[in-house]
Amino acid sequence: MRNQVEFEVYGAYALFTDPVTKMGGEKLSYQVPTYQALKGITESLYWKPTILWIIDGVRIMNPIKMEAKGIRPIEYKGGNTLANYTYLKNVRYQVRAHFIFNPHRPDLAYDRNEHKHHNIAIRCVNAGGRRDVFLGTRECPAYVEPCEFGKGEGYYDQYGSIHLGTMVHGLNYPDETGVNMLETRLWNPVLEDGYIHFIRPDECELIRPISELTPKSFLKENVQSVEDLEKEMAKGRRT
Amino acid sequence: MGWMYDLFQTYEENIDQVGKVVRTRSNREYTLLPIAHTTQNAQIEITVDEQGNFYQAKVIDKDDATTVIPCTEGSFGRAGSAVRPHPLHDKLVYVAGDFEKYGGKIKKEDSPYDDYLEKLHEWSESAFSNDRVKAIYQYVQKGTIVEDLVAVSILTLDKNNKLISKWSKEATEEYGDKPELFKVINDTQDKVFIRFNTHKPGEINNIKIWQDGKVYDSFIGFYKDKLQENDLCYVTGERKPRTVMHSSGLRRAGDKAKLISSNDTTGFTYRGRFAKGNDVTCVSYDVSQKAHNALKWLILKQGKTVDGRVFLVWGSQKTSIPSPQDDAVSFFNELGISLAKKTNESNTHEMFAEEINRAIDGYKNDLPYKSEVTIMILDAATPGRLSIMYYRHIDKEEYLNRIQNWHQTCSWLHRYRKDENKKQILFYGAPATKDIAYAAYGFKASDKVIKGTMERMLPCVVDGQKIPLDIIRSAFHRASNPVSMERWEWEKTLSITCALLNKHYEKEGYDVSLDVTNKNRDYLFGRLLAVADVLERRALSTNEGRASNALRYMNAFARHPARTWQVIQANLQPYQAKLGNQVIYYNRLIDEIASNINIDDFSNKSLSGIYLLGFYSQRHELYRSKKENQDKITQTKEEE
Repeated sequence: MRNQVEFEVYGAYALFTDPVTKMGGEKLSYQVPTYQALKGITESLYWKPTILWIIDGVRIMNPIKMEAKGIRPIEYKGGNTLANYTYLKNVRYQVRAHFIFNPHRPDLAYDRNEHKHHNIAIRCVNAGGRRDVFLGTRECPAYVEPCEFGKGEGYYDQYGSIHLGTMVHGLNYPDETGVNMLETRLWNPVLEDGYIHFIRPDECELIRPISELTPKSFLKENVQSVEDLEKEMAKGRRT
Repeated sequence: MGWMYDLFQTYEENIDQVGKVVRTRSNREYTLLPIAHTTQNAQIEITVDEQGNFYQAKVIDKDDATTVIPCTEGSFGRAGSAVRPHPLHDKLVYVAGDFEKYGGKIKKEDSPYDDYLEKLHEWSESAFSNDRVKAIYQYVQKGTIVEDLVAVSILTLDKNNKLISKWSKEATEEYGDKPELFKVINDTQDKVFIRFNTHKPGEINNIKIWQDGKVYDSFIGFYKDKLQENDLCYVTGERKPRTVMHSSGLRRAGDKAKLISSNDTTGFTYRGRFAKGNDVTCVSYDVSQKAHNALKWLILKQGKTVDGRVFLVWGSQKTSIPSPQDDAVSFFNELGISLAKKTNESNTHEMFAEEINRAIDGYKNDLPYKSEVTIMILDAATPGRLSIMYYRHIDKEEYLNRIQNWHQTCSWLHRYRKDENKKQILFYGAPATKDIAYAAYGFKASDKVIKGTMERMLPCVVDGQKIPLDIIRSAFHRASNPVSMERWEWEKTLSITCALLNKHYEKEGYDVSLDVTNKNRDYLFGRLLAVADVLERRALSTNEGRASNALRYMNAFARHPARTWQVIQANLQPYQAKLGNQVIYYNRLIDEIASNINIDDFSNKSLSGIYLLGFYSQRHELYRSKKENQDKITQTKEEE
């Protein structure tokens, strides 16, 4: 596909916090990554406000294991506290994603060149990402390698389906929906032989508004188009 | 499924258990609470008749004190001096209209009785009302509870017509014997908890009001009607009335730790994208109540608690399931099979394998086809918050297979367990994870270490992971050092270590019965040590309980086998002399084993865990053959 990337992301720990355990501070990970976590990882590889990543699916390669650790969270008012965070251990995921041009960013229409963005994205995946990648939370660093989605042996091959219940799908940001509201999306994923086939964010029916939010505006002055960048680079090469 | 949905589902599947008070073997009471209800210990029971007149009252026996009472979100979480009455049963200060008249102290701005009465009135007038509740309301609004209780001499007044707070010696002198009530309360008289009941003439086996399903439903219906606005529930995905107050007291009564809490505005656990706790998540009242009540019920029913850490395993549909923490004996006990009788010493492994297969198959057949098993470990790092340390949700078939595999591979012959008659039993199988922790870190290890080890062992059982090397190594070093502990402790450590090693060297397939064909250097050295030990023990008189040289040098032997063997053999001489003719058998055995060791292997390279297996098997063989020989002798004698 002209706008698709496939990669494998792995790390020693992951924490995709179950929101129910988030507000009290004793975090427990979901068993599988959320759509939003994978979108964040993909955006760490390559992102520009012009594009919008859509995660098509994830494949869970390793058995789901958990490990609890005693954590000292920072107490901003001073003093000491202790919490138990429960992480996923030794995770490896294959991800397939594609990008579209953000329809709610007509201001960036001058930067829409699918071919160039796609090539940049592929180079970014090969390089392991532009920014550092983490699995759910900042303390869980991860590594990215290009792969062929579905290739190799996974623990849940021929495992059948596991219903994961109601989970967070992700967050709706104003610049992606065109509505000036931060919203949470929920859905009911099923793990089928280790695969989760995500529905698109606009297909989620369970949506809960959180708070009002306005998008940041991007203009020619603060975003350089891929064409301009290429010209600049070509100039640099010549001299 | 998510952990909370699992609990919610468990509640729904066991809905027929709601309100039933059951006792565990250790005499703990547990109930699957209806939603919007909690339990309280009451001290006084007042019975009213259908017209709302006082009928009788009594002091409640401590064993019967647990009462299921309706509660609201507010009253459930009440603390300190805040006035939040329970809907029906409550403390004297709430239910008695004449509380102040008899010396009860209430803050000026508070009006607990009026608040209580108003709420009860609302309930009894609502569409969900119940006749029994109405009768109680009729009675309570008269405001004569203290008076009535004094009249039947349950509450005691002093000469100024005020409630006596604590009973003292002077009081005995002045008013006579200590009233019954003071025997059941720890606090002052005005803090006493009252429960109500109704009396209907002619009905003998009247259901008590706190066990009456109709009254539960009446309150639940009334209360649900009044709940907050609908919101999206993160557990079920349905739009239902939300709650912000979640249960505490999950591990035991009085436990303040909550699974879901939101008290953090300074620690930045969620702030950033979200401003309020409410923004992060939302759980419906119904789900929160049911999930928490199910968890409380399960913990009391079958949870194992070590130093505050709860290990819990349950199945959907049929909640009790073999625990991964248990040893083989407990496992069979649960099934009602007496393992002790069936264990035949000569053929332990096969017998056991067959037995465990049969047991697991029994379980498999017993459970419905599509049932699942959930494993959870809970602990609190701080008093206020409970965390989920481990959570797994697996198919029962898968789970039982893993348990079966664990019991078959991490197994050895143990003799540390006792049966119901306190008689020592011999059993073959996997040790309990708690015993493994004790074997690795000693019986004096702190509870923190024990519970941590138990948690680390759990994935070995349910996920088939390798046993962490440090645990094996620690157990190995302790087992190699018999002089550091008492005899029974060492024996227990030894057999458990053998089980761990057997699992560790699973591919090699060791067994309790002696393998004379095994040419492994460490195994042979272990056998040598066992022969030396048994030889010396035979030579000692039976009442001489001291440790043999072999055991005393065991630690050194494990590190420098060739050199230490010299010392042990030199020390054996007097005993060999003492044994006389019998010694030939042992000497021949020593020669035979030693000749099997390759000359290059007879070195000081330290021994691996396998030597313990050789030691155990050889010793077992020697003791067994002696017993058999004796049996033969007695048999032939009888024949003569």
